[in-house]
Amino acid sequence: MSAVTSPEVPAAGSVELGGVADDLARAALAMARRYSVPGATLWCASGRWPFHAHHVAVEFVHPVIMGKRALAALTVPPGADLVTTLRASVRRGDMVVALAPAGDRAVADAMRRGQAWGVETIWIGAGPRPPAGAADHVVWLDTDDELAASEQFVRLYHMLWELTHVCFEHPGLMKAEPECNDEVCITCSDEGRLAEVVLVEGDEAVVRTAEGQERIDISLVDPPGPGDLVLVHAGFAIQAGEALL
Amino acid sequence: MSAGTEGTDFLYPFIEGDEKDAPSLLDDLATSARNKWVESTALRQRTLEQSEPLIREVAAAMADRFLAGGRLFAFGNGGSATDADGVAQLYTAPPWGTPLPARSLVEDHAVLTALSNDIGFDVVFSRQLIAHGRSGDIAMGFSTSGNSENLLMAFGEARKQGMLTVGLSGYDGGRMAADPAVQHCLVARSQSVHRIQEAQASLVHALWEAVQHALSDAAATVP
Repeated sequence: MSAVTSPEVPAAGSVELGGVADDLARAALAMARRYSVPGATLWCASGRWPFHAHHVAVEFVHPVIMGKRALAALTVPPGADLVTTLRASVRRGDMVVALAPAGDRAVADAMRRGQAWGVETIWIGAGPRPPAGAADHVVWLDTDDELAASEQFVRLYHMLWELTHVCFEHPGLMKAEPECNDEVCITCSDEGRLAEVVLVEGDEAVVRTAEGQERIDISLVDPPGPGDLVLVHAGFAIQAGEALL
Repeated sequence: MSAGTEGTDFLYPFIEGDEKDAPSLLDDLATSARNKWVESTALRQRTLEQSEPLIREVAAAMADRFLAGGRLFAFGNGGSATDADGVAQLYTAPPWGTPLPARSLVEDHAVLTALSNDIGFDVVFSRQLIAHGRSGDIAMGFSTSGNSENLLMAFGEARKQGMLTVGLSGYDGGRMAADPAVQHCLVARSQSVHRIQEAQASLVHALWEAVQHALSDAAATVP
């Protein structure tokens, strides 16, 4: 080994942001739209890098640029059970941003449930990607270098904050666009909505969906328990179990 | 936002409440993000190149302290507090290399609120160094302005105890760059708080890697 090692300039990772910029832009617009409804809160989570979650929260709550709106953002306490904490805390219209590797099962679980809770989900990470549709917004870097990724996360959430505030300057665009105009639409026509079981009473269950709580018939599926996810169609659970996670 | 702009709306075509062109906004946002990314990458490169001799010097001094049993205490306010937490995590649970004793002074909310409530926020770090600090230890403080009173007080206390002091600052370095209590000041020269924090994250990583290299060089000389 050499007697004197010069501090190498570590790899910068990708010099260009490329298509990630488009994902970031869509996430920022979605967040600005959510924030345009009073009461919306951003929940920040990172089991692997708790300091990043705290940094995201402080960006939104106490902006570095004077005069910018203070926005509600809270960190999920490091070490807390993510799904349990979010289930109790999030309200319809909220947002969840997680900084986590694709293999983080708790984050994958929470993001999936986001649909039943009525929250917008943003998953920021690097390296191997989570499966398509793992969150509403997957903002992913292609570096495998953990330190380079960590540096670039700071840029990503700084920009997420900056772009969200740019969106507020476009009040006409702050209303969410209708999700579909087609005659048959998965989202609107109740083909199958994700729901989380709150309690079970015989062949019926009270479930939590993006629209609120409702009572459904569960006689067509293997009996689910509280916390399980089911697919609801026309008042019936039509699918339950691991496949939904 | 749109309030009070009647009569001048023609100057700001996007301020109209009936704006409908989301794709155009998304394009603008993405372009802005790409430009900021390039800007941040350039600042990172510039900062690391300019700081290289200092990083080498600080890393050698830190490695000496660690080898003699010294510990690292990191502190800062706001986003810089999260940098202090990140440093503690990086040094104690590194992705590679030797785990080193490090502690963030913003982690214990009982201590932070007790000191703030009973004495004042200016002493939240210095009073902790009075309790924990020893002459062989290292104090590392983060500020984007370089002017935070509680950091300057902490550096003063650290020097009084004979600790090695390292500051990370922004803009032109601020008071930290001029204060003799800050023995080494690494500066991310930018006018943007965000870009400063991004470049400081790179400085942290470069310094940590240099410390690890210095430690492995030292280990290689053990007979």
